[in-house]
Amino acid sequence: MFKHCNYWVLARAVSLSLLAGLGATAALAQTGSSLSQSGLVGKLEGAELISDPAAVPKQFKEAPQLAELVKQGKLPPVQDRIPQEPLVIKPVKEIGKYGGTWRRGFTGPGDVENGNRINASDKLLFWDYTGTKIVPSVAKAVEMSGDGKVYTIRLRKGMKWSDGAAFTADDFVFWFEDLYSNKDIVPTPIADMRINGKPGKVVKVDETTVQFVFEDPYFLFYDMLAGDTLIGGGQSVRQAQGFTFGAYSPKHYLKQFLPKYSSEAEVNDRAKKEGYDNWVKLLHFKKDWSLNPELPTLGPWRTTRPVNTPTWVMERNPYYYAVDTSGQQLPYIDRIVMQLAEDTEILNLRAIAGEYDLQERHIDLGKLPVIIENQKKGNYTVRLDTAQNGSDTTLQINQSFKADPEIAKWLTNADFRRALSLGIDRDQLNETFWLGVGTPGSAVPGEDSPYFPGAEWRKKWSTFDLAKANQMLDSIGLAKKDSEGFRVRTDNGERLRIQIQAVKAFVPWPAHGEMIAQQWRKIGIWAEAKEMERNLAFTRTRNNEHHIHVWTNGGTEILYLFPRHAIPVDPTEAFMGPEFAVWYASGGKQGRKPDDPNLLKIFELYDSAGSQKEQERIKIAHEIWKIMVEQQYGIGTVGQSPALMGVRIASNKLGNIPSRVCIAQHCRTPGGSHPETWFFKD
Amino acid sequence: MISFIVRRFLLALATTWAISVMSFVIIQLPPGDFVDAYIARLSSTGSSVSMEEAQAMRNLYGLDQPYYVQYAKWIARVIVGDFGESMEWQRPVAEVLGDRLWITVVVSFAALLLTWALALPIGIYSAVRQYSFGDYAFTLIGFIGLAVPNFLLALILLYAAFRWFGLNVGGLFSAEYELAPWSWAKVGDLMWHLPLPALILALAGTAQLIRIMRANLLDELRRPYVVTARAKGLSESRVILKYPVRAALNPFASALAYLFPYLVSGSIIVSLVLSLPTVGPVLLRALIAQDMYLAGTIVLLLGVLTVIGTFISDLILMWIDPRIRHQVDA
Amino acid sequence: MTRIGRQWWRLFRRASQKGAEAEDRIAVATQLQLTWWRFRKHKLAVMSLFVVILFYLVAVFADFLAYADPEASDARRGYIPPQSIHWFDSDGSFRPYVHGLLGVRDLRTFKLVYRVDESRKVYIQFFAEGYPYYLFGLFPTNRHLLGFDNSKPENGLFLLGTDVQGRDVWSRLMVATRVSLSIGLAGVTISLFLGVLFGGISGLYGGIIDTAIQRMIEIVRSIPTIPLWMGLAAALPNTWSSAQVYFAITIIISLIGWTDLARVVRGRFLSLREEDFVVAAELMGASRMRIIFRHMLPSFMSHVIAAISLALPAMIISETALSFLGLGLRPPAISWGILLQDAQNIQTLAVAPWLLVAAVPVIIVILAFNFLGDGLRDAADPYG
Repeated sequence: MFKHCNYWVLARAVSLSLLAGLGATAALAQTGSSLSQSGLVGKLEGAELISDPAAVPKQFKEAPQLAELVKQGKLPPVQDRIPQEPLVIKPVKEIGKYGGTWRRGFTGPGDVENGNRINASDKLLFWDYTGTKIVPSVAKAVEMSGDGKVYTIRLRKGMKWSDGAAFTADDFVFWFEDLYSNKDIVPTPIADMRINGKPGKVVKVDETTVQFVFEDPYFLFYDMLAGDTLIGGGQSVRQAQGFTFGAYSPKHYLKQFLPKYSSEAEVNDRAKKEGYDNWVKLLHFKKDWSLNPELPTLGPWRTTRPVNTPTWVMERNPYYYAVDTSGQQLPYIDRIVMQLAEDTEILNLRAIAGEYDLQERHIDLGKLPVIIENQKKGNYTVRLDTAQNGSDTTLQINQSFKADPEIAKWLTNADFRRALSLGIDRDQLNETFWLGVGTPGSAVPGEDSPYFPGAEWRKKWSTFDLAKANQMLDSIGLAKKDSEGFRVRTDNGERLRIQIQAVKAFVPWPAHGEMIAQQWRKIGIWAEAKEMERNLAFTRTRNNEHHIHVWTNGGTEILYLFPRHAIPVDPTEAFMGPEFAVWYASGGKQGRKPDDPNLLKIFELYDSAGSQKEQERIKIAHEIWKIMVEQQYGIGTVGQSPALMGVRIASNKLGNIPSRVCIAQHCRTPGGSHPETWFFKD
Repeated sequence: MISFIVRRFLLALATTWAISVMSFVIIQLPPGDFVDAYIARLSSTGSSVSMEEAQAMRNLYGLDQPYYVQYAKWIARVIVGDFGESMEWQRPVAEVLGDRLWITVVVSFAALLLTWALALPIGIYSAVRQYSFGDYAFTLIGFIGLAVPNFLLALILLYAAFRWFGLNVGGLFSAEYELAPWSWAKVGDLMWHLPLPALILALAGTAQLIRIMRANLLDELRRPYVVTARAKGLSESRVILKYPVRAALNPFASALAYLFPYLVSGSIIVSLVLSLPTVGPVLLRALIAQDMYLAGTIVLLLGVLTVIGTFISDLILMWIDPRIRHQVDA
Repeated sequence: MTRIGRQWWRLFRRASQKGAEAEDRIAVATQLQLTWWRFRKHKLAVMSLFVVILFYLVAVFADFLAYADPEASDARRGYIPPQSIHWFDSDGSFRPYVHGLLGVRDLRTFKLVYRVDESRKVYIQFFAEGYPYYLFGLFPTNRHLLGFDNSKPENGLFLLGTDVQGRDVWSRLMVATRVSLSIGLAGVTISLFLGVLFGGISGLYGGIIDTAIQRMIEIVRSIPTIPLWMGLAAALPNTWSSAQVYFAITIIISLIGWTDLARVVRGRFLSLREEDFVVAAELMGASRMRIIFRHMLPSFMSHVIAAISLALPAMIISETALSFLGLGLRPPAISWGILLQDAQNIQTLAVAPWLLVAAVPVIIVILAFNFLGDGLRDAADPYG
């Protein structure tokens, strides 16, 4: 007679024994050694940014076509184009030479980030190639006052916009007074410019010095300027797509589009003539570097053919503010041509065929064997760069779920979450989907990050322990199972069903969800992994409808710059508790206050961090991570992998390509490896 | 008869209006709006959108108004020929479509040509040599085209071309010609890229055409006038080609009207796989991104084309077949 | 003269007798028999009929024919190529077996490399024990057609290889057949119902009703299918289980199919309305229902059947296309569309081409249904 235990025993026996493997193999070699044995991961290295005035070369050189234009009198000579104190970049390997077109792939006008990141050196401050130290970029120096209330930004004397106009403190004041403070352009002020609810302001000191002044100590602001934040992001990324942040803006060009400098009627008229409803819409178009080739910028390349065409073309900026150590004005490469690919499969195929010179974006880790195979044919080298974030696939468990009280009861039960975490076979996931190169464990950032809370926190509650998981679930009241061995609800005796919602993105999350759901059968939990449209999934999470949402926790490497994938503080993406995020963001006026004391502690700690100095902040971050791991609000599985932008295909014709680069949100890959120092060896 | 035409025309207008409503409804069906889609997409590629930015975008695009208001605004503009702006492409819809429309026409035309070139001879042969080995063999080959999922075939051919011939046949232009102005070399480049997409798109239609051709021709060949022609001593080829084939082609004329919308819809997936810059992928992306004006305009356009097609085919039928004409007048 | 005449007379009588017999047979044969006889002439159609029946048998016995749990994944068994079966044991007896495998990831190429371990033989058993399932959905059992000795964990049978997650392709293919074929069937039934209903009403009553329905059909046909699918699929509530979504998808797919059938039915009704036998029936006082079902329906039944068998392949293709777009059935459901989705990428073509085998049943079934439909239509056509 067929008995359910037979199935149970059989299933367990078969699956457990399958886990034992197909005979003697080293198939589960530790990830560290597998990566190093592959020879694909190099040593972290990169160009060095030098702001020491003593290091500035005496003689300068420029690209041949620019020299030609100088001879014709169309451009001022190179020493007049770069600032008197230019940024000196020491290339990672050698001094390069001018010339060449960098071919790359992009997926459409929604893929502006592709170009934004290449232009990331238009930020005031940036991170060095390790991703751990902040160095000046556009700014010559940024000084913080002792009390953390005043930030003095020293600009480079003689620095110019890409059209030759001077770049001065006026551009900062213009941004702050005429753009940011104008309610028509920016309806809501940003949190980055506030501390303890009090807004800061921008003050001009002299032509090359400007200050950001706050009423309370705001030590975090330094990191904010360096990170990929609304205020620090740089003109290219933060003033496109209808946004108007990024600390500075070209006054001499944009003022013609503002009513303040002419009249409302005139600018509206002009807008209508160019096909826009009103002057605000025209302004948003005009200040978008990817759409408007006339806009002055500071980055190494400027758009000559806009992003909303089949080919996005960028050409060198003759007024770029950086030189190499021998005095050659950067960038070396003349042009970037991005070819549109309607589908990422074809983008990958083109990369494999060697049609791109450097491509890390949209490259699929799952295709690694094919990529490696074709290196000779495509004349490229593939390298793997591991990311700093702890988990590419994090199960974010909704703590504010309330549609079904029984489910809510279990989602908010810490032991339930811990048991779920112990029931995941991370090694299996790693092997199948990350080809064994990820690091299994909890969601905390990587070991080389200062925000890493300690070795025990990688493995805590994040190992594979079926026995303990089953025992924990039995002990919290879910011991009763139905005829097929799945745990039943305590309210009506029916099977307990948990939903995992997953979106197909750069990582195949639905497949991960499927595998995890399969694995949870062994601890008696019936989970359903549902694949969803991206917008649908996000809408559901915003409406507090999901049980578990699968997402990366990228960006949490530096917790304060981008916390939302770790803690629910931003309602735009608050997978762990949408209602709590609304409560937090509105200052308690809307949403719901969490009951869980641990969550409250996290909010409290997070709040306190903004006004603390860096060392204190890092300690606070450690505390927050410890609570996160202990409570398992976000179950980490496998991380520190090359899955997102970590598979780097570089043509063998290019020089100064680092053997390994930093992959983290603040590194702005590939911006952090300074594309302006890459060159074609010929 | 005039009154019939006028009546049909008015009905066509009413149908078009109904289609516009349906198009709008369909676009809005999925929950969320363009900004939601934008946030989700950015987040999934490692970038971020803040609350403030999201609200700013919503203001910019007028997405916080009720649906009927949005519909009314849209249809009012469409009637005067202003198709609005695509939020994703940040360009007028007419511009985005204009670029792609002519390419779609070129690709569809090439596919059509190929279909006819393949189907007609095979259809005629099958009808004339019914139940022969050749009939079965050719029909089988023709039908294989129908049966193989064309997106899979597209990817396989793409990869095969790369793997064994080192060719890159994706897209319609090579990278260097993309930017170049029109020249004979560029036309040559286009011609070189065209056969693969045309072939894949043509395959499904070929089987259909073969079957229709064969059936019609069989009917015609049994008619008395064919026997007469043979008896009078006309050569076999003239007997077949001069009259029956022409008569058998009649239904094609009316089928032509549906062709364009069918080709656009049918080619969406293949265009995606082969990265062809046609209307199909744009429509798909607009739907996913909920880019209202762009998606709505394309859907409306396709719907209108179908309505026009039906109208024209009704007119043609009426013109050809006197019985229908009389029935109508009665 | 009379002798020649008598010879001719005898020939003539014999011929006409035969002819009379044949004619007699034809005269008393039912429409069904006539159709069947004509159908038999089309060899390809007959073959297709057998193929279709075979496929539906597979669908019914899917779990029995599978031998591995279609959902059980194991990273260490990813991308195993199809194994070669050795039919005769070393002693010459008929005992098919496969060799054991040793798998390891080559860290230079990152491919999973499987070496055949000749020392290990995994014998293929018939009617073996495997994973438990319900036969016909009713009888719990764990017997499968094929199986192997699974007491040893390293043993495995992979006739068609495995996918990236280590799931057996053969078993998944069996289960996928069941799902895909039943979607087609369910969808076609709904299409049939809608088509006959609307086409019939339209054709029978004519006038304003006809016009209204025709315009409605035109609107439905004008809407490009993909946006329609997207809109509807996205609007489905997400709390629905896979089974409910599956059902909803069949309804969505069938929403496109019925228009063609409606037009055909309407056309038939319009022409049949004027036929003598219908008029005669009316004059004799037969009720509307009786006229429709007893007299008119049989005339175009065969056309309807032919239309259905041609609509089925369209359903199957729609399902695969929907899966490609991520709209149709989603994992963990298993269908041909989902299997093809897994295969629709470069790494499959380059490293694991055996996954493309999922396209084979799709092609065969579509061909079979097409030829079947052709044959039926030829047979049903009274003027053929």
